[in-house]
Amino acid sequence: MENAWLIPLFPLLSFLALLLFGKRLKEASAYVGILLTLASLVFSVIVLVGRLTGATYKLEADWLQIGDLQLTVGFEVNQLNALMLVIVSLVSFLVHTYSKGYMHGDQRFPVFYAYLGLFTFAMLGLVLSPNLLQTYIFWELVGVGSFLLIGFYFNKESAKAAAKKAFIMTRIGDVGLFIGMILLFWQTGSFEYDEIFASVHAGEVSGTMITLTAILIFIGAVGKSGQFPLHTWLPDAMEGPTPVSALIHAATMVAAGVYLVATMFPLFAASETAMSTVAIVGAVTAIFAATIGLTQTDIKRVLAYSTVSQLGYMMLALGAAGYAAGVFHLMTHAFFKALLFLAAGSVIHAVHTQDIEKMGGLWKKLSFTAPLFLIGTLAISGVPLFSGFFSKDEILIAAWANGNYILFWLAVIAAFFTAFYMFRLFFMVFSGKARSEMKNVHESPVSMTGPMIVLGILAVVSGYVNTPWFGTFLGDWLVEGNEALGHGHIEGPAWIMIVATVVSLAGIYLAYLMYSKRSISRDWFTSRAPTLYSIVVNKYFIDEIYQTTIVYATKAISLFLRFIEMFLVNGLVQLVTGIVRGLGKTGAKLQNGQIQTYGTVAFLGLAVLLLIFALTGGYLNG
Amino acid sequence: MDLETLLSYEWSLMGPEFIIVIASVILTLLDLFLPKKFNRRMLGWFAFVAVLAAIVSLLGLLDNQVGSILHDTFRLDSFAKAFKLLLLVGSALVLLLAIDYEPKEGLTEYRGEFFYLFLTGLLGAMIMSSSGDLITLFVGLELLSISSYILAGLRKKNLKSNESAMKYVINGSISTAITLFGMSYLYGITGSTNLNEMSGMLRTLTDPQYTYLLGLAFFMIFVGLAFKLASVPFHMWAPDVYEGAPTPVTAFLSVVSKIAGFVILIRIMVSIFSSIPVGDGTIPMLFDLQDFIGFLAAVTMILGNVVALRQRNIKRLFAYSSIAHAGYILVAFTAMSYVMFDSIWFYMLAYVFMNLGAFAIIQLITEKEGSEDIGHFAGLYRRSPILAVTMAVFILSLAGIPGTAGFIGKLNIFLGALMVSPSHYVLASIMIATTVVSYFYYFGIMTQMFFRPAAEETKLKLPAGTNAVIIICAVATILLGVMPQLAFDFLQTNFNQFMDFMG
Repeated sequence: MENAWLIPLFPLLSFLALLLFGKRLKEASAYVGILLTLASLVFSVIVLVGRLTGATYKLEADWLQIGDLQLTVGFEVNQLNALMLVIVSLVSFLVHTYSKGYMHGDQRFPVFYAYLGLFTFAMLGLVLSPNLLQTYIFWELVGVGSFLLIGFYFNKESAKAAAKKAFIMTRIGDVGLFIGMILLFWQTGSFEYDEIFASVHAGEVSGTMITLTAILIFIGAVGKSGQFPLHTWLPDAMEGPTPVSALIHAATMVAAGVYLVATMFPLFAASETAMSTVAIVGAVTAIFAATIGLTQTDIKRVLAYSTVSQLGYMMLALGAAGYAAGVFHLMTHAFFKALLFLAAGSVIHAVHTQDIEKMGGLWKKLSFTAPLFLIGTLAISGVPLFSGFFSKDEILIAAWANGNYILFWLAVIAAFFTAFYMFRLFFMVFSGKARSEMKNVHESPVSMTGPMIVLGILAVVSGYVNTPWFGTFLGDWLVEGNEALGHGHIEGPAWIMIVATVVSLAGIYLAYLMYSKRSISRDWFTSRAPTLYSIVVNKYFIDEIYQTTIVYATKAISLFLRFIEMFLVNGLVQLVTGIVRGLGKTGAKLQNGQIQTYGTVAFLGLAVLLLIFALTGGYLNG
Repeated sequence: MDLETLLSYEWSLMGPEFIIVIASVILTLLDLFLPKKFNRRMLGWFAFVAVLAAIVSLLGLLDNQVGSILHDTFRLDSFAKAFKLLLLVGSALVLLLAIDYEPKEGLTEYRGEFFYLFLTGLLGAMIMSSSGDLITLFVGLELLSISSYILAGLRKKNLKSNESAMKYVINGSISTAITLFGMSYLYGITGSTNLNEMSGMLRTLTDPQYTYLLGLAFFMIFVGLAFKLASVPFHMWAPDVYEGAPTPVTAFLSVVSKIAGFVILIRIMVSIFSSIPVGDGTIPMLFDLQDFIGFLAAVTMILGNVVALRQRNIKRLFAYSSIAHAGYILVAFTAMSYVMFDSIWFYMLAYVFMNLGAFAIIQLITEKEGSEDIGHFAGLYRRSPILAVTMAVFILSLAGIPGTAGFIGKLNIFLGALMVSPSHYVLASIMIATTVVSYFYYFGIMTQMFFRPAAEETKLKLPAGTNAVIIICAVATILLGVMPQLAFDFLQTNFNQFMDFMG
């Protein structure tokens, strides 16, 4: 575990190497990236195994001294970190491998791998950070990495826009995180997690301040994890290459928000209000995104909204004091969602479209991809025996046990929607008659199916590390030695599991009737509630609302200031200079009145300052 | 003054200045007598070596105790040493850029002039940082200003350059007049021009009428000096002058001249206005007027960042960005925390590297394309990945993204504004908000470089000097971002928290 700091350095090395030699290596760049992330994975597994038996390890060194303030850097290996390290490095390794096939023939192949390396480095660094400041630093770096990856297909105008949107939307959240971090520092005098928790525990921070800082930090998590109302960047980010979506939008960056809340859990747990906020935002996001998912026709967008929705579940779990449940779902989701994205990529690779209306009957043609996609779909729908079933069940129990009955039922309904739209997606893509235009459909190469098979296996078995039947190893281990994190497993009534199973199967059955058997018309709902449908299909018009408010407001302010600078001041001056000019008729181009403007502004400024000084200073009376 | 007293002064304190003076005299003569055919670039290298020599000589003086000569008009304290070092390092980098500068219409005839005017400008800035007297401060200020006026108009056949110089001279004169007027109040009340004497005299001042007059002087000096900082309300010249001036001159103005502006501002404000008691005599005037400076800092940040959003010309964009950066530094100046010197010094150090690095690349691109439109950065990643990545480093640093020197600089200022009591949280919030606004235009350049196809695929030729600047700046920007302690240790060991500033 002493060498855990090496883990992020391998991908960084890959980034630097590919930056320098990428052009010469061409597609061989893939091997550099794959081997180096494999090294990260091996080390991560060693660290995880070490942590399973050993104790938490922390190493720090002085970094920066400002006056009396001493800031440190270092790394820490606790249960959560160790688990995250393996998840991130594993998914990253698989995505690296997969991309070799997916990106084959792309002109900027080495660049893609370089960016992947940068991103993986930032994410692993984030996970290892033992203090808030370092977390923030990597948090921003993750943002930069995703900016580059989402905008990778830069000749698509929409990709460029999406990259910028993702960066700026998450940045709005980051401001919250930054302010929260500084406030905490101000209150506790430290950025270190343990010291912050210690002083919160000792009651040195006032209740209001705990709530305020927790909510500010949560705003950061809301931005990164695409929670309502800052979720709009995530679906747009699907403009990036599909492996990127699997890496960033399933297992790593979006999970960083959940990870942050989990890391800061003792702070959140100290404030009732903060916990309810997290739970409510989570539940609302879960159901809200699920309803949008019902109407989308782009294969990746459906998955994007399902990601938003599933992240909402994780937040709900954390907010309902189900620490173990939230982290557990984070893990299972990372596997099955990465699988779904990679499988979707494989479908897109085969049929060259993302519109599910144009797909159909691919079951026989994609003999590897189709069953793997089915496994992912079953897992996310919460069908018994698959991983998603166990983790979602834990979340529902946590919500129920915490007494949030409304949120519990929202989550149950969202589970029904999830099962429905995921199988809608599955049936529309794989069942029915094959389209005539899809003749040359081939299964993807081994480099792509291989990683999918690994994830497929994990999507099934990863649930068994924490089940009510065979023991809750993961949950118990996660909270071991830290009472602030609550219980590893919460006992809940048995009927919850049955309800979860029933809604999931009901959703699947309805999807089957509508999209496979077609005994219920697809337009049954749309024709009955056209307004509602149009609201949902337009994603509740959130983007439009942002467009009309924030974007225009910024533009308006900027125009306004320019107006003042250019016209108002200029106009005043022109009145004066107009006379002068009229007299002298100096046609000299340089004397176009502008220099006078500048001088006048300075004078006006001075005059205003002096005036205020005279009025407020009280010196006139003295 | 007889020869004996003259010789008894410890002239070695002025070593760096002497080197620069001698070098500029030699350059003038060489430029005059060397045949036309002689490549004047060699003079640039000569100037560069002179600046390096001055740096070495300054480093040799680091261990000296605080000393002053010429009746306390020239003093070498920690403040002078620290900021002189910044000025010299910045100038050395700008010189490297200037040697490679080759505008379309040619600069062969005037290239020699460029270098010795540059050195005299630098000399003025150095004198300012070492002044203990209003007279020398002012002489230094004017030496810097007059040199810069000519430098801005050096491209004699270029209309924009002429316009730029013209505007610069006129605005500069106005600012000088205002500053001088303010200084005359100080002299009128104290009867002295020596900063130390004045501060001693003002400490015992009780008559509120005088205090009021000193308040007027404060504002006039501040507004006059705002010209050098390019901060509100004297900021409007910056975009026009930056756009028209030759690129290395723009780099000089936005870095060296700006640092000099802050040097003189701190020198006058801290030594004089922190000695004047106001009200019941417990707080000095400088603290009493914090809200005004804070207000100007806020307006500067907002205006610089918001107007930058609309710029298409890269040099104008950087002009507004440099206005915004002046605003950030003013936040540190407003807060007056006990880490004020450290954080301003560090911010400027970071600014020297990130801004000059960016200017190196700007010079390269604009010179090649003959236009300053942002569009020419399109597809830079394809044309030259290394250039694009280093430019990205500079831009990320200017935007204050963690991992770069710019972030540490902002963090210092930010913490400084919050650690004083009462804390300036409104100002700190405005700083964050405007930083977020700045992401829009900084990332606009990033989008151009990485996400747009190049108009042409020709490779860019990288001259040696520019190359060196880019490498030095990129390495320093990242190094100071990852290991900022290097710079702070240097400050701690050599300058002892600027304790000797007042005495």
